[in-house]
Amino acid sequence: MCIKRKLITGLIFTLALCLVLPMQVYAHGARIEYTSSTEIEIVAKYDTGEPMGGAQVMVYAPDDPSTPWLTGVCDDEGRFTFVPDSTKSGTWDVQVRQAGHGDMAHIPVGEGAVVAGSSGGYSVLQIVLMAVCVVWGIAGTALYFSRRRA
Amino acid sequence: MHIPDGILPAAVCGAGYAATVPIVWYSVRKINQEANPRESIPQAAILTAAFFVVSWIHIPVPPTSVHLVLNGLLGAVLGYYAFPAILIGLFFQAVMFQHGGLTTLGVNAIVMGVPALLAYHIFRLRNIRGEAGRITTGIFGFLAGSCAIGLSAGLFLVILVSFIGAGFDVEIERAAIYTLAVAHVPLMFIEGTFTALVTVFLHRVRPRMLAHA
Repeated sequence: MCIKRKLITGLIFTLALCLVLPMQVYAHGARIEYTSSTEIEIVAKYDTGEPMGGAQVMVYAPDDPSTPWLTGVCDDEGRFTFVPDSTKSGTWDVQVRQAGHGDMAHIPVGEGAVVAGSSGGYSVLQIVLMAVCVVWGIAGTALYFSRRRA
Repeated sequence: MHIPDGILPAAVCGAGYAATVPIVWYSVRKINQEANPRESIPQAAILTAAFFVVSWIHIPVPPTSVHLVLNGLLGAVLGYYAFPAILIGLFFQAVMFQHGGLTTLGVNAIVMGVPALLAYHIFRLRNIRGEAGRITTGIFGFLAGSCAIGLSAGLFLVILVSFIGAGFDVEIERAAIYTLAVAHVPLMFIEGTFTALVTVFLHRVRPRMLAHA
């Protein structure tokens, strides 16, 4: 009887301890907190393929296109990464400038976000084709004006 | 050398166009005063094509790279045709290759076209003591080519340093602009030599093509 009472008392005490000190009981659990954020990486290069190392970068948030939200400098490979404020969805503008050369990329964030894109540019084949067309037109002009008059 | 869109304030782009219009008008007026204004259009067209394509020939000058401009050659060979020729070449470069931009077309025309007119007047000086020989033509061709690119680089530097956009680190940008401007010193020799070779060649085989200057 005495042993039974002791056992019940011990059980109640253990239960009470469990309720009073829940943290100790759960101390071996694991917890993961997360917030969703998307890092944007840009790579700035000249059209020769040379990276714009050390170029200055200006990031403009969609709600204020006139004041820079973030400024920074590209690394030697022309890379620059930033994490846009996820509450400001819309088109973020990233301007890169070095020695009077540069470009601006428009990056959609939030709805309609794209995985990768570029600020423009053509393939070598397109450039060659366009150059040939223009030179052909100019050569035509030259031939027109150099024709013998009838 | 080509200033793209979005680098200069709108007022400067407008001023570039405002300065370009009277120079085009004056050039066309001078062209119309010639006996046969149409006669030089073929060579102006060919040199416009050369100017248009040559911006793709990059010369590495560490830590940057520069490209040929040929504005001195255009000035020396074409005279007053050079400014409209450069304007047309710049327009196609901006539209096709995004070299430069449409808003900065006027500013770029001043940066490259005005030195071409200077080159024309330098090259004309070769005949100051009678008909120039081959060596004199080569020397003045070199001077025309190198002075034109030197003045272009100077104008480019002054315009960019004066109008660095708000928010950018002025010191970093200024240092990058100076580096690029210094890289044009070797280009002065390259352009000068190229202009000298072409003018000497034309002097020998088609002296009529140098008749403007």
